Amino acid sequence: MEKVINDFTINIATANGTGSQSANLILLESLFDMGVPVSGKNLFPSNISGLPTWYILRLSENGYQAPGDRAHIQIMVNPDTWDDDLESLEPGSVVIWNSNTKNKTVDREDVFSYPIPMTKLARGINSKLAKLVTNIIYVGALAEILGIDQDCLNLAVNKQFKGKESAINLNIQAILSGREYFRENLEKIDPYSVAKRDITQSKFFIEGNEAVALGCIYGGCQMLAWYPITPSSSIAEGIIAYIPKLRTDENGKANLAVIQAEDELAAAGMVLGAGWAGGRGMTATSGPGISLMQEFIGLAYFAEIPSVFWDVNRVGPSTGLPTRTQQSDIAMLYEGSHGDTQHIVLIPGTIEECFEFGWYAFDCTERFQTPVFGLSDLDLGMNKWACAGFEYPSIDMDRGKVVREREVFEAFETFGRYLDIDGDGIPYRTLPGSGMDPILYRGTGHNPMGVYSEKPDDYHDLMNRLKKKIDNSRDKLPAPILREGEDAEIGILYLGSMENSIQEIDDILLDFGHNVHQCRIRALPYHPEVESFIRRHKATIVLEINRDGQLHGILRKELPDDLVTKVHSVAYSDGLPPRARIYATLIDKKLKEVMQ
Amino acid sequence: MSMRRERAVKLNVINEPKDSYTGGPSSLCPGCGHDLISGMIINAAWENGVEPHRIAKMSGIGCSSKTPAYYLGQSHGFNTVHGRMPSVTTGAYAINKDLLYLGVSGDGDSASIGIGQLIHAIRRNMDMVYIIENNGVYGLTKGQYSATADVGSKKRKGPSNELQPIDLCALAINLGCTFVARSFSGSRKQLTSLLRAAMSHKGFALLDVISPCVTFNNNDESMKSFSYVKENEMTLHMADYIPHFNPIEEVDVPEGHYRDIELHDGSTIRLETISEEHDPSDAVAALTALHEADKGAKHVTGLLYFDPTKPSLAEDLDLVEKPLLDLEDSELRPSKESLDALNSEFLS
Repeated sequence: MEKVINDFTINIATANGTGSQSANLILLESLFDMGVPVSGKNLFPSNISGLPTWYILRLSENGYQAPGDRAHIQIMVNPDTWDDDLESLEPGSVVIWNSNTKNKTVDREDVFSYPIPMTKLARGINSKLAKLVTNIIYVGALAEILGIDQDCLNLAVNKQFKGKESAINLNIQAILSGREYFRENLEKIDPYSVAKRDITQSKFFIEGNEAVALGCIYGGCQMLAWYPITPSSSIAEGIIAYIPKLRTDENGKANLAVIQAEDELAAAGMVLGAGWAGGRGMTATSGPGISLMQEFIGLAYFAEIPSVFWDVNRVGPSTGLPTRTQQSDIAMLYEGSHGDTQHIVLIPGTIEECFEFGWYAFDCTERFQTPVFGLSDLDLGMNKWACAGFEYPSIDMDRGKVVREREVFEAFETFGRYLDIDGDGIPYRTLPGSGMDPILYRGTGHNPMGVYSEKPDDYHDLMNRLKKKIDNSRDKLPAPILREGEDAEIGILYLGSMENSIQEIDDILLDFGHNVHQCRIRALPYHPEVESFIRRHKATIVLEINRDGQLHGILRKELPDDLVTKVHSVAYSDGLPPRARIYATLIDKKLKEVMQ
Repeated sequence: MSMRRERAVKLNVINEPKDSYTGGPSSLCPGCGHDLISGMIINAAWENGVEPHRIAKMSGIGCSSKTPAYYLGQSHGFNTVHGRMPSVTTGAYAINKDLLYLGVSGDGDSASIGIGQLIHAIRRNMDMVYIIENNGVYGLTKGQYSATADVGSKKRKGPSNELQPIDLCALAINLGCTFVARSFSGSRKQLTSLLRAAMSHKGFALLDVISPCVTFNNNDESMKSFSYVKENEMTLHMADYIPHFNPIEEVDVPEGHYRDIELHDGSTIRLETISEEHDPSDAVAALTALHEADKGAKHVTGLLYFDPTKPSLAEDLDLVEKPLLDLEDSELRPSKESLDALNSEFLS
């Protein structure tokens, strides 16, 4: 039997609220510390306690981060999903199972079966906390089976329970107990193991939402208004957590106001109020929240109020699958609110970009005086990803065209809040309290002087200036990331967290005989380089995690006519993080159709 | 300034003529009660000597919410979306707490679509004056009943209103609002005093002003018609406002028949008792007065409830002393060293 080292997927099936998350993170951190290329994904229910949850650990020498096509090792602790989990396994898989599970057993002959009396062992360590300890027992058993370094496990436990001695001791004791049981009672018969790689880890694990939160802190955010919603809450909570350390003076007074709003409508209103007053205001929400904010988004666009909205996309429509991932808010953000609108959307695909776009969103919204969206998703936002460290903002804060001094104001020959003085579509603004050019901001039609108007020319000119303003932002927004070799005829255009699956998709496509180039869009409206990429290729697949191909629709609307026929949609979503083979197969099918 | 003096224009304590507080011409129906209120806002701000550009005029949508264009032309304003003015004001306040936020709303805005935001702004004791120009109808959409229309109110056409009205003053008192008053757009002296006091209050000051709609709700069946209110108003007390820059002695009210209430900035609101004593610090008495009036199909006006002790949103946010707007960029962006330290902490 051929050994398989550092190249397999582990699926851990537990119940929510049993402490399995810390057990799984200990595994993730210890493997990472060993130099094993690993990524972890938490598939959790919308529930606090009791419903099934899975954790997928992908070990891949190629650095693949998508969940693999199948589980090679299945850990079974949850009786509710037992039968389905067991049935889905391919022959030759490993099953590590809690043999104290009532009425459940593993009766398949074609798998490597390791029964471990997890509950009994856990009770032996701490009967009160048996439910929690059970999860740590499988960590120990798995460590013994795969050869996970105990020092690395100890380190990971220490990191997880920072300074809580009793918790640290309890967890290490449970790990050792799981190890010992396997060593003394069972024999390793499967081919899977891990091997230490000689690389010093100069990376750490962090969630996308925490990276966004830090980005906002370093972006000089002055007001956060939010309403709790999965999967975005940890952006707001991250900001709140960092305020004492990073945004508080020596008297303990903060310079970042946090308001937990009564709903998303109010949160959006507060963001506009902050922007109107001259500050950097933001909110973080998910699709349902953005749905509620639509009216204010239109006002911000029309009255030209800086405002930052982070959307951590979850599965819609409606409540949908609230704890699953999707890229389905693209169209809603880009064309949010009634009437003709078009918004700037920043789309990070890596943890580093979560931080960067976190601070840049404020510069962008003040520069263009228009709402700016950050579009992340549950996969990127709530899973832990390896990060090489955050880079300090490369440019000073850009506060945009704000007239703060009277001499500057007086120097204008004529001044109007919505007068396009520089010809770039971006007018100048004065702030409430300044006494300069006082106007009544409004969502009704207005002329360049900011005065109410229903005149056809005023409306028409205003709408076209707004379009010009957003169009002018294209080449100033983050350019796409291109990966091109020579003479590939096919381009793959994708966005956001698909970044974590693209390399594997690319490799599978190569197996299928397709040499492809990649272009990751990082902002809307799309950058001119996106257009040249499409022009350079015979066909471009637009790859996204939704049903309708929303990005494809936007491109078709805005591309020159001769390019429209060159873009082809591959869109798929089932709530799970993108599995490379599914998308590669769909691309292959599409290419067979279009390349004839 | 000297030019103005020569023309003998009356100036306020900060040497501003009343013209500095006026706005554009009104486009409301001739005779609208709202225009009277706009006039009183102008007077109150001028008499209080507030710097006109340090006021922020906030409103939602509706007839009342159009009025910020008709007063305080030197102030920035924001005519926001229907019922959602409180949240916009809250966000602006978080950035610049030194402005005087003057919100104008209507009963459609405040008692229906925006009632949630009104409630939560009260709950936060958001520092603002919140005027409800209450006429019981949706004027701008031509006369539908609002949620403050009294039972039995009748429009010119169609059936009468049979739904219970929402009494925004009672609601506010129950929510612990720190300044609750009711007045009438025809009561120039009382309303001006209340407006002046509300502008000096630290916290949420709610002024529910019955302001008859001359076009859609001025028939005799309506309890919010001009003639009905004129005849059925019970004044709780005459109110007089004594600003902090005037010595109290100058005000001519017979001693023993008034009660002085000190406001945040050292000003005083003097309540001249008319018939029975009303203690504005007593929420139960305030609610009793409202219910008694309701029983008699009357409107009780005056300062109903007042509590200067509750912390306002500013204290709750626990921010640096300077308004956040005035902070330098370097104060808002933490140092490079702090990020380097974080990076190494993550790595360890």
